[in-house]
Amino acid sequence: MDNNEKPVIELKNISKEFKVLNRHEGLKGSIRDLFSRDYRTVKAVDDVSMTVNQGEIVGYLGPNGAGKSTTIKMMTGVLEPTSGQILVRGNVPYLHRSENAQNIGVVFGQRSQLWWALPLIESFRILKDIYGISDQAYKDIQDLYRSLVDIEDLLHKPVRQMSLGQRTLSDILAAFLHDPAIVFLDEPTIGLDVSMKAKIRELICELNNKRNTTVILTTHDMGDVDALCRRIVIIDRGKKLYDNDIEHLKGFFGSYRTLKVRMDGDLKKKALKVQNEFPSLSVTGDDEWISVLVDESRDRVVDVLEKLQQSHNIKDMQLEEISTEEVIKKIYEGAASPSSDSEGA
Amino acid sequence: MKKYLTLTRAGIIEALQFRLSFVVIVVGNLLYLTVIYFLWKAIYASAGADRVNGMTFTDTLIYLVLATALFNFMEMYTVWEIGRSIQSGKIVLDIIKPMPYRRYLFWSFTGSFVTQFFLTFLPTFIVVCILTHGTIRFGVNIPLFILSVTMGIIINYSIDFIVGTICLYTESIWGINIMKQVIVLLFSGAVIPVAFFPETFKKVTFCLPFRAIYDAPLSILLSQGTSYPDLLHMFFVQLIWCVVMTAVSVLFWNVSLRQITVNGG
Repeated sequence: MDNNEKPVIELKNISKEFKVLNRHEGLKGSIRDLFSRDYRTVKAVDDVSMTVNQGEIVGYLGPNGAGKSTTIKMMTGVLEPTSGQILVRGNVPYLHRSENAQNIGVVFGQRSQLWWALPLIESFRILKDIYGISDQAYKDIQDLYRSLVDIEDLLHKPVRQMSLGQRTLSDILAAFLHDPAIVFLDEPTIGLDVSMKAKIRELICELNNKRNTTVILTTHDMGDVDALCRRIVIIDRGKKLYDNDIEHLKGFFGSYRTLKVRMDGDLKKKALKVQNEFPSLSVTGDDEWISVLVDESRDRVVDVLEKLQQSHNIKDMQLEEISTEEVIKKIYEGAASPSSDSEGA
Repeated sequence: MKKYLTLTRAGIIEALQFRLSFVVIVVGNLLYLTVIYFLWKAIYASAGADRVNGMTFTDTLIYLVLATALFNFMEMYTVWEIGRSIQSGKIVLDIIKPMPYRRYLFWSFTGSFVTQFFLTFLPTFIVVCILTHGTIRFGVNIPLFILSVTMGIIINYSIDFIVGTICLYTESIWGINIMKQVIVLLFSGAVIPVAFFPETFKKVTFCLPFRAIYDAPLSILLSQGTSYPDLLHMFFVQLIWCVVMTAVSVLFWNVSLRQITVNGG
């Protein structure tokens, strides 16, 4: 990771607008739509700027429909931005699509670039020729793959007979095959079981390490983010909300912990009582637990627990760190309803 | 070149994975040809003449049998392929291959050109040669025919690609594709020999590119007394269509790609 400061991706004030036909309901509406010129403009990406350096793993997060895929499609050269400037390794992607293709690898979680009917090794050979990979480089990367995952079984299996996990793994290997500077992973762990997820995270991490490949990762799985990304970018409704370290994200929201206690009786009623005892803290109750959100910069969890114990018979307790997921959820919610973001955080 | 030929190779291997489909194609064709045989037999019987529009029954039959064989080998269902990958969003992955999409797709099909040529066209051609005892000449027309078929493939692909590009706007394929197929089959002479068309209709046909797909190579192959200037003229017209359609399809695609929205994901 010696050339860390060299930007490989530069986005400057990128926007992308789509024209969408205003559809009407019902049969009459559908017939009217046939002749309608009633378009509205949707801003999928709105004035986003960022710079990504060589070797970084960036988590690109946002709720569904936030504009993540649109941004990725612009970076890969599939879509042309409505305004703004993109440079990927000094190339304008949509103008030099083929040159850009040599520099990038792509995995879209639900689609495969592999040849469906053929064994994996054939797909690799085809990609070798398409990308003009030299024999030596091809051999090297195969050796690297062998050292990281057990690919011997996979190589001779037709892709259509693979499980989803094996196929995703193969797709990731295929994306890294021509040693691209940047790999885009769009929800690579979607629909996979826990052990496969772990395997894929480990693989991505190793490949990033060994080849200093920049990885742009979109996901809804916070496990992926925690395991892989040091930097995260959050986008919602096309606008960039956050772009910084993952540690900073937690710090940004204070050192919160959730104290969960269980006691006799109706917990929902008790929760109200506890709320009265601690007016400064946020208390919620469900069927199992009473949760008290404690800001450790103001109160100590131990004090709160002690005070609770004096007036209630506590049967069980748990202490939870606030997770990245919750933090991000708060950001999303804050973005969705800007008036309510003072609550809790 | 290597990166294109590897796609051909992949296509051949891929086609050979599905052995049963060849049997189905051969059986389907035999049934179709039987229908053609009886249909035209009836037409000639009711006409009461040996020659209709300058073609004997045998001429017509050879023409149609070879047209069917040519169709099987040249029709790549490009429009379905483009439409399906637009709808599934897979097209994104194909667009970002390090070669233009139009070329990538074409070379992906070449593998099945090769397999279909050897498995359907060539056997049919040999059978026709044997059964008709030398009605087909072997001379300059053979190399010309091969060149002509190649151009036919390119024209056919360009037309398909243009129709496929329209799918970017409509996001549906079925109706458009059916319409395209009917138009191409009719105007190209794959179902009825062009010689049978009424005069005005023939004139229209001569102004359209479709004839250059099936009728031109077949006319070159089956040419009997046709003079070389005539053959060369047909050849030249085909060449022009080849260039024009390629240019139009490339331009149309490039313009369209700038305004598409790719669905999903």
